[in-house]
Amino acid sequence: MIGKPKRTMAAILLLLLAAGGFMYGSRWFPERGPVDITVIVKSTDASIEFWEVLIDGVEEASQEFDADVRVTGSRTEADVDEQIAAVEQAIVEKPDAIVLAATDYDRLVPVAEKVRKSGIKLIIVDSGINSDAPHSNVATDNVQAGRKAGEAMRKQLQGPAKVAIISYMKNAASHIDREKGVRSVLEGQPGIELLDTFYVESSEENAYRIAKEILQTQPDVVGIVGLNEPTTVGAGRAIKELAVQERVSLIGFDSSVNEIKLLDEGVMKATVIQRPFQMGYLSMKTAVEAVRGDKVPKVIDTGSLLITKDNMYEEENQKLLFPFVNN
Amino acid sequence: MMLQIFRFRSMQTNMALAFVLLILLTIVIMSVFSYFLSQDAVQSNAKSYTAELVKQVNNNIKSYVNGMQYITDLVDSNPDVQRFLAGERYASLAEELNGKQAVANFLESMAVSRADISSVSVFGYDGQFVTGRQGLELNPYIDITNLSWYREAKEAAGAYVISPSHVQPAFKDRYPWVVSLSTELSSKKDGAKLGIFLIDLNFSVMNDMLQDIRLGQRGYLFIVDSEGKIVYHPQQQLIYSNLKTEQIDKVLQIDSGTFISGEGGNKRMYTVQESDFGWKIVGVSYVDELVANQNEVGLSIIALGLVCIVIAIGTSLFLSQRVSQPIKQLQVYMKEVEKGNFDIHVPVPSTMEIGRLARAFNMMVGRIKELMAQVVRDQEQKRRSEISALQAQINPHFLYNTLDSIIWMAESKKSQEVVLMTSALAKLFRSSISKGEELVSIETELEHIENYLKIQKMRYKNKLDYAIEVSDTVRQYKTIKLILQPIVENAIYHGIKMKRGPGLITVTSEETDGEITLIVHDNGNGMDEETLARVLTHSYKSEEGRGVGVGNVDERLKLYFGMPYGLSFKSKLGEGTTVSIRFPKKTPAQEAGKK
Repeated sequence: MIGKPKRTMAAILLLLLAAGGFMYGSRWFPERGPVDITVIVKSTDASIEFWEVLIDGVEEASQEFDADVRVTGSRTEADVDEQIAAVEQAIVEKPDAIVLAATDYDRLVPVAEKVRKSGIKLIIVDSGINSDAPHSNVATDNVQAGRKAGEAMRKQLQGPAKVAIISYMKNAASHIDREKGVRSVLEGQPGIELLDTFYVESSEENAYRIAKEILQTQPDVVGIVGLNEPTTVGAGRAIKELAVQERVSLIGFDSSVNEIKLLDEGVMKATVIQRPFQMGYLSMKTAVEAVRGDKVPKVIDTGSLLITKDNMYEEENQKLLFPFVNN
Repeated sequence: MMLQIFRFRSMQTNMALAFVLLILLTIVIMSVFSYFLSQDAVQSNAKSYTAELVKQVNNNIKSYVNGMQYITDLVDSNPDVQRFLAGERYASLAEELNGKQAVANFLESMAVSRADISSVSVFGYDGQFVTGRQGLELNPYIDITNLSWYREAKEAAGAYVISPSHVQPAFKDRYPWVVSLSTELSSKKDGAKLGIFLIDLNFSVMNDMLQDIRLGQRGYLFIVDSEGKIVYHPQQQLIYSNLKTEQIDKVLQIDSGTFISGEGGNKRMYTVQESDFGWKIVGVSYVDELVANQNEVGLSIIALGLVCIVIAIGTSLFLSQRVSQPIKQLQVYMKEVEKGNFDIHVPVPSTMEIGRLARAFNMMVGRIKELMAQVVRDQEQKRRSEISALQAQINPHFLYNTLDSIIWMAESKKSQEVVLMTSALAKLFRSSISKGEELVSIETELEHIENYLKIQKMRYKNKLDYAIEVSDTVRQYKTIKLILQPIVENAIYHGIKMKRGPGLITVTSEETDGEITLIVHDNGNGMDEETLARVLTHSYKSEEGRGVGVGNVDERLKLYFGMPYGLSFKSKLGEGTTVSIRFPKKTPAQEAGKK
């Protein structure tokens, strides 16, 4: 008669204590803590605006999505081994996710697969690898960007014309795709002849020399497409030096102060720019989503934009063309 | 339902439950109140904090803009500038250069006064250009008259024009992010329009100031101009690429104030402050962050509440235990009493109510014990009295005297009388034996006394006469036996015998609703008051050293029927004595029912 209610009371007491303990505990073990993400870029050189802006986007996203972020990478884009080492190091540190901008389409594949096997989410940003390992690829659709450049070139050309394409390096996925895009527009166009692609081995100086050589040896070349910033600037320098800007149309990729000058001066007719800020932001967003178990799209196109002298000072384009780096 | 909870449980549980429910209710009400109060406090705090911050930013920006306006006013009224732009004919080229240099010097002094100024320049309508920054050349590929700050200043005709943040492409090889203030200069003499004055403020100054401002974890601050163009936004890139939308339309609609926009996790609170120069400074904070804070508060309140409840349950268990424990103890003692053990004494607890209860219980048990003892005593007494009465009936004196009389009568050959007396004696004994029953009918008692009187009459002859006049209705009732004989015996020995001349004994009856009174009257000697007072005491009985006195009768009546009943005496010396025997009516049926 007395024992039973006492036991009930004790049970209620225990239950309450447990509930209290749980609620108190849950404050220290929140369901969604900060996500730990390592971002490995192609170049940690602070003077390269592209990566600075991309990292800006990363940081903006890290604040918005409550992530702890660490940015590393090879010092220069050419040092593939250093980047592989950076990825290995990141695997040891075991973050929730790695955001990688691959310096090489093939050589990063084994280490990327190792990332995947370690249970770390892998998100590719800007430059992809020849593998299915990444959860998602956040990059410019470079074929599409190449097509935009091709279209711009086509508009510049009247009558029969020879067009040269200058590529930065042979085995970079982005350059392969851009070239594909450009060719897909210009090939088969009546009167337009596309020369074999010139490779400049990661050197602006080479681009300048090769462009100069082309212009001097083949005066019927009236269009040059530079597949990235150094190739475009190098080619622009050659055109300016030979004073053939009236005859030769230069279409470039990316943006820099030098490219803007070329655009201002009318040497470069148009440039196709990417959105590094979006890449940084969206790769982080995707990484956080992947870590939290959401389904993420395999490919996210951050888009590209054709900039000409006419639209370069438009409000929307200013931020992209003249990156306002927060440092 | 509530009542059902309290049913069929021990008092302790009920009390504990009541306490707990009461405390629970109080805590819940208090918690809910404090939760909502703190919610209000958090929200209004956040609101006023944001408003304060936005105001502060407004003041900072205003100080920049005011500085720029101040410089503009100085330039506008500067005579060198006026002269240079007015296109006045200079006496010589050197003088013209001098004039230009004076303007340049003046502008330079303005520019160096403030580190945040990117450039200070004057553009004359006649193509003149002077800048306060050395080495700055015009961008040859740009037509400055197409630039918005130029066009708008011209249109504004003397009013200040403040641009949103933009890239300034007017100068060669430089693409700085600036906020431009431009105005048209006109002649102080004739009001002729002279040109455009431009002052560029490094946007990085503003940017540095603004980007560090965070409202909570994710909140931020942005600025739009009166046309909705973004002056500053930390996520400008996201907005231009449609990854994010900002409520610019709504911001433009209200001058200053607060509104909330969005749903769920993206609910944002906008605090808008309009500045004097047309910009709107907007603080954006995420509502769920405030709510997260709020949840923290809520959790604390709940945790505290739980602790309180646990303490309350503990306390109520203890208290109810304290209250109910003595009652339980009392209950245990009562059980003992139920079993028949009256030799207990409950320790009196200190609680007042329970103490009283325990004392009363103790008294009650004591009284019961006493009463039981009394019952035992009474029973014993009854038996003893009866035995005495039986002894009295076979009073050896009376028997001896009677037998003496019979012998004497037999000697005198009065055989008729011998027979009478002997048969009377036999009847007397038979009636008194009465099968051992305690109660006999009045009839039997009367027969008995008649036989007794017959014997006595034969002994005393003319000295004694008697009459029994009891109504028939009375005769059927029951009474205890041998109540008349001691009284009649008394009347004879102490009343009639002492008297000269013959005496008369009458036995009569009176009847009321519930009582019967048998009255034995003699006209004998009577008693004085002193004797009368002693009649009912035992001392009187033992005076003669024989038989059982009237005291025994009275005692037996009282034992059997209760205190109100018994004998009463009336007597006057020399006139006689009347003894009333009072007892309740009892029919044989009643007696049977009782058994």
